[in-house]
Amino acid sequence: MHKNNLTFILKRILYAVPAIAGLLILAFVISRIIPADPAALVAGEMATPQQVEELRRQHGFDRPLHVQLLLYFGQLLRGDLGKSLYTGRSVFSDLMDRFPATLELTLVSMFLSIAVGIPLGIVAALKRNSYLDHLLRGFTVAGLAIASFWLGLMLQLLFGMWIGIAPLGQRIGVDPPATVTGLYLLDAAMTLNGEAFLSALKHIALPALTLSFSSFATITRFTRSGVLDVIQEDFVLYERAMGLPPRLVIYKYLLRNALISTVTQIGLLFGLLLAGTVVIETVFDWPGLGLYAYNAIILSDYQAILGITLWAGVIYVTMNLLVDIALGLIDPRKTEL
Amino acid sequence: MENLSKSNGGKGLSRREFVKTVGLGSLALSGLSFNPLKAWGAEGKKFVWGGPSEFQSMDPHAIYDVTSENLRLNLYDHLYRYLDNPPKIQPWLAESHTVSDNELKWTFKLRKGVKFHNGDEVTGEAVKYSIERLMALGKGSSALFKPVVDGEGVKVLDSHTVEFNLKEPYAPFLSILATFCIVNPKVVEGKAGPWGSEWLSQNEAGSGAYVLEKYSPGAGWTAKRFKDHWMGWKGNPVDEIEFRTIHETAARVMALQKGDIAACDGYLPVDQLEKLEKDPNITVYDQQSMRVMVIRMHNQRPPLNDVHVRRAISYAFDYDSFINQILKGRVVRNYGPIPNNMWGAPADLKGYTYDLKKAEEELKKASVKIDRPLNIHPMTGYAQTDDAALIVQAGLRQLGIKVNILRETWPTLSGKAKDKESSPDMWIHWVSTYYADPENWIGEMYSSARHGAWKASAWYKNTEVDDLLKKARTISNMEERKKIYEQASRIVVNDAADIWIYNTKWYGPHRKNVKGVRFCPIGDGQECRWLSMA
Repeated sequence: MHKNNLTFILKRILYAVPAIAGLLILAFVISRIIPADPAALVAGEMATPQQVEELRRQHGFDRPLHVQLLLYFGQLLRGDLGKSLYTGRSVFSDLMDRFPATLELTLVSMFLSIAVGIPLGIVAALKRNSYLDHLLRGFTVAGLAIASFWLGLMLQLLFGMWIGIAPLGQRIGVDPPATVTGLYLLDAAMTLNGEAFLSALKHIALPALTLSFSSFATITRFTRSGVLDVIQEDFVLYERAMGLPPRLVIYKYLLRNALISTVTQIGLLFGLLLAGTVVIETVFDWPGLGLYAYNAIILSDYQAILGITLWAGVIYVTMNLLVDIALGLIDPRKTEL
Repeated sequence: MENLSKSNGGKGLSRREFVKTVGLGSLALSGLSFNPLKAWGAEGKKFVWGGPSEFQSMDPHAIYDVTSENLRLNLYDHLYRYLDNPPKIQPWLAESHTVSDNELKWTFKLRKGVKFHNGDEVTGEAVKYSIERLMALGKGSSALFKPVVDGEGVKVLDSHTVEFNLKEPYAPFLSILATFCIVNPKVVEGKAGPWGSEWLSQNEAGSGAYVLEKYSPGAGWTAKRFKDHWMGWKGNPVDEIEFRTIHETAARVMALQKGDIAACDGYLPVDQLEKLEKDPNITVYDQQSMRVMVIRMHNQRPPLNDVHVRRAISYAFDYDSFINQILKGRVVRNYGPIPNNMWGAPADLKGYTYDLKKAEEELKKASVKIDRPLNIHPMTGYAQTDDAALIVQAGLRQLGIKVNILRETWPTLSGKAKDKESSPDMWIHWVSTYYADPENWIGEMYSSARHGAWKASAWYKNTEVDDLLKKARTISNMEERKKIYEQASRIVVNDAADIWIYNTKWYGPHRKNVKGVRFCPIGDGQECRWLSMA
């Protein structure tokens, strides 16, 4: 079993490498084919054609496409993601600046949707067709159907303006806590900074609620159907007939099987959120990756676009890997390929 | 498995989960209500300004756009600066200047005793370093200086005298000096990046009225009052300022009404303005700015290379509907390329009106056949350009001309506009005030020497106008320059080189307790040293 798991994990990691390489080539080629001229953008609105040419040579845009690609791969192997045309800083440091904000928001949102979604999903399955189940079904449909920016704006209006207990945006209203991880809640807790903790909590409430609403819907539905599938199985009846207490049956035996599809969904959702949530970040001025990606695209900041694409690709692949491993642990049958 | 769900286990489970959910919920809520509602920004001595754009870099020589003007005006000083409306150039770090007879040598005497934020004195060395840095980096407003200033030509004559040597006489030189900031070489030299650019993009090295405290890309920056600023302080100035990025218009307006911010950007959509004008806590100042909306036409591509076709299109645009219905009369009709309130714009200019009969007459005189649809390109994110394109399309439909609307982003369009082949048939943009001289508009738009710049994407070529503009650029007598620009304007309008629609009005919403707002088309009222908060 041990050896099986290890080879399984190693194989998975190996599969990740060509996936990321392919992604990078595709993104690189596409970003070079579009008609905008990146050197002209950097030079500024009033640049003469000569200045643009100079900048083009500086950044290597005048070399043939395949040479540029090879140069870029060489850069990556040295750990250099290039320099953002617009900020002048390394793309890597830009990403490191913005990533913790997105990570924190994603973690809190996922926590909310899991903590609420799984239990409610189980309840809905166990109390199938009760009015609680129907109420939840209504909520989940709403969660999937409602546009997140609309929900965000409405929450802002309701809690921010009319009731006035929540801030309209940003991550924190006082000086941020001393940096340990970049996650304000964690850092404030670790440095015992009560003021910062409460401020960060207050600021993350609305965006996290907004973001969690749609993932909560998915998680609840998948948990519900997962439990319903498994509850029909013979082994459950057998265990109850043997006299095992229902709580034990549910928590120890039923859930492990029922949660397989849910765990898969959680992995995918996490990857989706982590890779950048432009809409929520725009509505709540959350300084994360989503906005950074959006600006990079609008400004044709090539190095930044490629950096973000690579980063998003790595996240997705990692999340898939973790999900596969988690599934392997939950259900050892999965490790036998 | 009904048994399971109805048994103790099922009920107990659901009760537990219910309690857990309720418990979590109430904990979250109580966390929210822990903090009293604090309207920080409007009250107290901190002025917070909210705008939609992010601050990608704090380097004054790297980015030169309307948004970043607020950091240049507050954290840095210039040799000369524009104030008020209509903009008047004032000596700032420079006390006075002299120009040699051949107009190639400009000598500036600097004010004495001016300090940078770290205590160093501002000397001629700093000025020389700053202009060289600007031109070496090749970004920001360097394009204004490179064709004009000799590379070797900046000499420090003594600690407070600097001499600029120009390649040829250039009358707008004083105007463009208001675009470049003086940085402290002792702080910037040796820092990361070419000319310390990596360091300066996140820090500052200025002498301005405020000192940078905190900068967070994506969120904005805060600054504290510089008590030793050379200009001194009177009355009740603001001690702390913050320029905050709030992307969503709705969120920005809410923040202003709530009191989280004290002022916001001056080009809000009409419906938001109307809401703010009704708010008893808010004053909306309005001033005519200098920012002309123009529809460009490719003067060297058939059928737009025929003046009669261009005139016909100019007569087929419904200016009244656009200005009064779509923009609710909140802009001012501008018949030519130079804004109405700028000297050089002829007061009696007879431009184009919406007159389909005249349009048809012009079309009859055309010698070029219109055998293909025309393409017009509005800009992504600018709804007004979409509206204008639709009006063009509707008007030309009456003349039997088909128009395709192809929306693209500003970077794409300004990139295409640099090359004659890829430049659009027609596209729509504004020309803002980079410096307050007619050269900023008519000079850069209609001199054939400027072809290749996005501002010159009409590809207009008229030797008479070229000569006039060249003359106006080089002589220094303002009265004469004014007459020449007026004459050039008349010719360009007669040639219908482009379609000029309106001059912008700035509507700056401020909370009522903000006093001393001083508007200038350069800076849009974001210079904070004049403000006080009641």
